Amino acid sequence: MDTTLKLWAVIAIVGALNYASRLSFIAIFARRRVPVLLERAFRYVPAAMLTALVVPMVAFAPEATGNADVPRILAAAIAGVVAFHTRSTLRTIAAGMVALWLLQWALGRIG
Amino acid sequence: MRRIAADADFRAGFAEMVPACIGLVPFGLVCGVGAAAAGASPLAALGLSAIVFSGAAQILAVQLLAAGAPLAVIVMTCFVAGLRFVIYSAAMAPYVRPLPPRWQKGLAFLLTDQAFAASVRRLSAGGNPHAAGMHFLGGGFALWAWWQVTNMAGYFAGNVIPASWSLDFAVPLCFIALVAPHMRTAPTIGAALVAGCAVIALSALPMRLNLIVAGTLGIVAGTLADFARERWTRR
Repeated sequence: MDTTLKLWAVIAIVGALNYASRLSFIAIFARRRVPVLLERAFRYVPAAMLTALVVPMVAFAPEATGNADVPRILAAAIAGVVAFHTRSTLRTIAAGMVALWLLQWALGRIG
Repeated sequence: MRRIAADADFRAGFAEMVPACIGLVPFGLVCGVGAAAAGASPLAALGLSAIVFSGAAQILAVQLLAAGAPLAVIVMTCFVAGLRFVIYSAAMAPYVRPLPPRWQKGLAFLLTDQAFAASVRRLSAGGNPHAAGMHFLGGGFALWAWWQVTNMAGYFAGNVIPASWSLDFAVPLCFIALVAPHMRTAPTIGAALVAGCAVIALSALPMRLNLIVAGTLGIVAGTLADFARERWTRR
């Protein structure tokens, strides 16, 4: 199958499946009450899901050598502290990127 | 359409999303570069970002496509990575219930990590559901429109940025900016710790299943800790 045709198939099928995922419970709970236990569990969705999403991106370098990437982990920790105190997306990104560049430079000189 | 664009809450939601949009620039560029590297036509690259509208799924799709994976494998992997939207959908459901069905369908299309994290606090604070819905639509639309711009910029010009700048690191930084401010109670910290450890421990699972499994474990841990704390304080 040629690449463009295959990509359009991916776009159509994944697009439909992703939309179904996004609509799923919004449509289901449109007609009935949300159970109390679930409503309570939903409070922890951002913390749990976003952490699960971010940890692999930080812990391993994009080359996927399987080794922990020390500058990235330290820079992410610094960014986390900045985000916690400032609640600002731009400051978090600025602090994280500058920390990563400095750490890569410093550790590159040592190593 | 013009009436929606003139709505004060829609405009406020749009404006509040601007910092997150700037943070998403590297993510969009990375996705566009990936689409170009996989040999996608400009129109297909735009279709991918406009219809699938999920950076994680887009990157997986173009990487697998470039590696020559079968269609079924690409589709399954992207679907599993998108299962977190089911959980977001459930968490949004109580707040969007009062809105008309047509709105719910529009909101669902714009449901992303950023839009969810940015709006869940405002939605859970209560208030007028129409205003909160308009606010979400404004932010979601800003993200969608900007996402197309950055993806196209990456497709046509992304290669001018050298890899040594590590711009891809801005992608996790966007998520850290969203999640770190939540870490103010013990059950929330517990949920994040369990999810973070589990996603590494389970990284051998195929098709990025570790993401949804670890996320679910974290949610369960947070809920259990919440009940334990309640018991503790009642005594």
